[in-house]
Amino acid sequence: MLKPEEMTRAVVVGSMDSLDATIECLYEQGILHLIDFTTPDVDFKIGQPLSKASADSQKLLKLRSMMRVLGIEEHKPKEKMTVSAIDKRLEQALVTLDLNTTTKNEAKQKIQSLIREKEAEIRALYPFASFGIAIEDYDSYDNVTCLTGICRRDPSDALTSKIREIEIFTEVRKSDVSVAVFVKNELKPEALKILSDREFQEVKLPKLTGDPKKIISANQEQISDLKMDLRRIETDLEKVRKQFADFIISSEEHLSIEVMKEETPLRIAATENTFVMDGWVPRSRFHEIQKTLNQRCGVHVFVEAIATEKDDEPPTRLMNSKLIRPFELFINMGSTPKYKEIDPTVMLFITFPLFFGLMIGDLGFGMALFLAGLAVRLKMKGSQVMKNFGTIVMAGGLMASIFGLFVFAEAFGVPFHPPPLSADEYSWESVAYIPIHPMIEKMENVNELLAISMLAGWAHLTVGLVFGFFNTIHHSLKHAIGKFGWLLMLLGLFEETMVIAGNATITSEFINSTLFFAFPTDFAMDFAGIELSIPALVFIIVGVVVLLATEGGFALTELTGIFTNLISYARLAAIAVGKGGMALAFNTMLFPMMFNGWDTAGEIVISILGAVLLVVAQLFFVFFLGALSAGIQAIRLNYVEFFLKFFEGGGTEFSPLTYERKYSVITTE
Amino acid sequence: MAVPDVGTGLALVGAGIAIGVAGLGAGIAQGQIGAAAVGATAEDPKMFVRSMIFTVLPETIVILGFVVAFFLYGLA
Repeated sequence: MLKPEEMTRAVVVGSMDSLDATIECLYEQGILHLIDFTTPDVDFKIGQPLSKASADSQKLLKLRSMMRVLGIEEHKPKEKMTVSAIDKRLEQALVTLDLNTTTKNEAKQKIQSLIREKEAEIRALYPFASFGIAIEDYDSYDNVTCLTGICRRDPSDALTSKIREIEIFTEVRKSDVSVAVFVKNELKPEALKILSDREFQEVKLPKLTGDPKKIISANQEQISDLKMDLRRIETDLEKVRKQFADFIISSEEHLSIEVMKEETPLRIAATENTFVMDGWVPRSRFHEIQKTLNQRCGVHVFVEAIATEKDDEPPTRLMNSKLIRPFELFINMGSTPKYKEIDPTVMLFITFPLFFGLMIGDLGFGMALFLAGLAVRLKMKGSQVMKNFGTIVMAGGLMASIFGLFVFAEAFGVPFHPPPLSADEYSWESVAYIPIHPMIEKMENVNELLAISMLAGWAHLTVGLVFGFFNTIHHSLKHAIGKFGWLLMLLGLFEETMVIAGNATITSEFINSTLFFAFPTDFAMDFAGIELSIPALVFIIVGVVVLLATEGGFALTELTGIFTNLISYARLAAIAVGKGGMALAFNTMLFPMMFNGWDTAGEIVISILGAVLLVVAQLFFVFFLGALSAGIQAIRLNYVEFFLKFFEGGGTEFSPLTYERKYSVITTE
Repeated sequence: MAVPDVGTGLALVGAGIAIGVAGLGAGIAQGQIGAAAVGATAEDPKMFVRSMIFTVLPETIVILGFVVAFFLYGLA
C-alpha cells in the first residue's frame, strides 16, 4: 500500500529468428517495462524494424489520411472487427477507398476553391454594379486615373467643389457609399486626399471584361451549379463513410498495434544473429514471463533475472486497493514517486475527503456533490481520469454530508436549529424538527474550528515528516535524523498554539489534558503579552539543535516555514466559516423576499424572483465556488504542506510493452 | 452594545490592517507567479504541482499577517 510494486531486472536474450514470436509474446503478457537501448557499440547495434514495418506504416498513413478526409477521427464503431477479417479485406479496401475518397476529395477541394474565387469576384464587383460601366472601361486610359472604393460619407460635393475636371459615380448604401472617381493623373493626389478624409478604402476590380451586373449573375449561376456538384460529391463521400467508417477505425487501430510491435526492435540491442532486451518485470510475475517464453519459443529464447545495481532506477507501479486507487489521480497530476519512495496515495485517500468535508460541512451540498460525482462516474465511462475524478468528488461529498449532518447540523446553508446567539435566524425548524444538534456552531464557534484545524495540521505534517524520515533513511541517516528536529519543533509549535488556546476550546482542553498531560499549561511565562509555554520552548530549542547538527545552519532559514505550514491549516476553519457566512448572507437577504406573501400578483412575482435569486446565488456562489475552493485548498494542503516534507518524485512510470484493442479483436481459429 | 474604548478600537483597526495589507501584498505577488504558473502548466500538465507550489509561496505573508491580526484581536 505504501510501497510501489517490487520489480526484478530481466534480460531476454534470443536468436533473431525468434524475435517476432518473442515480441508478440511479450506484448500479449504486458508485464515487461523495456529499457530503451541507446548506446550502440562495436558488438551491439540498435535493432532493425521487422520486415513488414515499412509496408504497414504506409498503409497506416493512408488510413489516417482517409480518416481526415472523411472526417471520422472521432467515429466509434459499435462492434469489434476481427483481426482476420481486417487482414483479409485491407488490401482491396485500400484500393477502393483510394479511388473513392482521394480523387473525390481532390475534386471537392478544387470546387471549393473555385466557389471561393467566384464569390470574391462578386464581392468586388457588387458595389459598382449600378454604375453601368463595363469593367475594362475603368482603367484603359493614358491620362485619366480611376479610383474605385468605399467611403464612409459621400465625397461628391467636396470633390466637385475642389476639382473641376472630374467625373464621379456614387451609390449610397446601408452604412457607406461606393465611389468611382475619374480624374486626370496629375489631380489624383488631391482627389485621394479628399477621399481619405472620408475614410476611403480602395477596392481593386478583378481583371475581367464586360458589364459587372452580367458577370455577377453569371457567377451566381456557376456557384449554384458548383454547389450542386459539391453536394453530389458529399453524398458519394457519405456513402463511403457509411460503408467504411467502422472498417477504417478498426483497421487503423489494428495497424497501429502492428506497427508498434514491428518497430519494437528499434528499442533493443541486436547483433547479426541475436537480440538482447533489457527491462523490468514485477517480481511476483517474473516466472510467468519465463514460462510463457519457454513454451512459445523453446530453447531459442532465454530469460534471466539479474541482480540490481545501486544506481538502478526501477519504474514505479503504484499498488493500492481498488477503493484507494482513484486517488492515484492526484499523484499522476504531479510527478511519479521514485521506486524507493513511499507512495502517499493512502494518505490522500484519508485526508482529502476529511479536509474537503470539514470545509463544506453541509448535508445538502454534500449530497449534491455526491450525486454530481456519481453522475460523472456513470457518464464518463470512457475516460479513466474522469471516472477517478468522479469517485473523488463522491468521497468528498459523502464526507461533507457526514460533517453537515452530525457536526454542523445544517443543509443548504440553513441550520437545522437557529444558533443560540441569533434565535430569529431562518432554520429547518420551520419545515421539520430534526433531532440532531450541532456539535460546533459554525458561525459562532470559530475558535473551536481553528483549534481543530491546528490539530489536523499537526497530525498531517507529523505523518509527512515520518514519511520523510523513511524516504531519506535509504541514502542519508543524518538527514533522516534531521526530520526528528523538524518533528520536535512542530510538536513545540503545536503545544504552544494549544497553550494559547488554553481552555477556550474543547479541542485544546482535550489535547492539553491528554497529549500534553505531562506539561501543565500554567508552566509558562509571559512574553510580550503572549503566554509562552516552557515545555514547548524546550521542544523547539532541542529541535533547532538537532537541525543544526544534521542539516546545518542553512536549515534555520526554514524555521518560519514549519510555523507557517502549521498555521496554514487555519484555512480549513476559514473556508468552513467563510462558506457558511456566504450562505447565511444570501439566505438572510433573500428569504424575506421569498416569504413576503402570496396574496397579490406583485407579491407572488417578488416571491418567485426571490426564490430564483436564492437558488442561483446558492448554486453559483456557495455550491460551485465553495466546492472549487474547498477542493483546491484540500489538495493544496497535501501538495504543498504535506508533500514537501517527504516527496521527491521524478520516478519513471511503469509502462510495459502492451496494447489495448477497443475496436478490433483477435480470434483464434 | 457597550462602546469599546479607543485603545480597543485601535487594536482592532491594527488587526484589520495586518491581515488586509498582508493579503494585498500576497495577492500582488501571487498574481504574477500565478500567471507564469498557468503558462507553464499549459505547456506541460506535469508542471501542475510544481506550479502550484510556486504559486502559493507568497501565502506565507498572509499567514504571518493572520497571526499578527489574531494576537491583536486577542489584545483588544
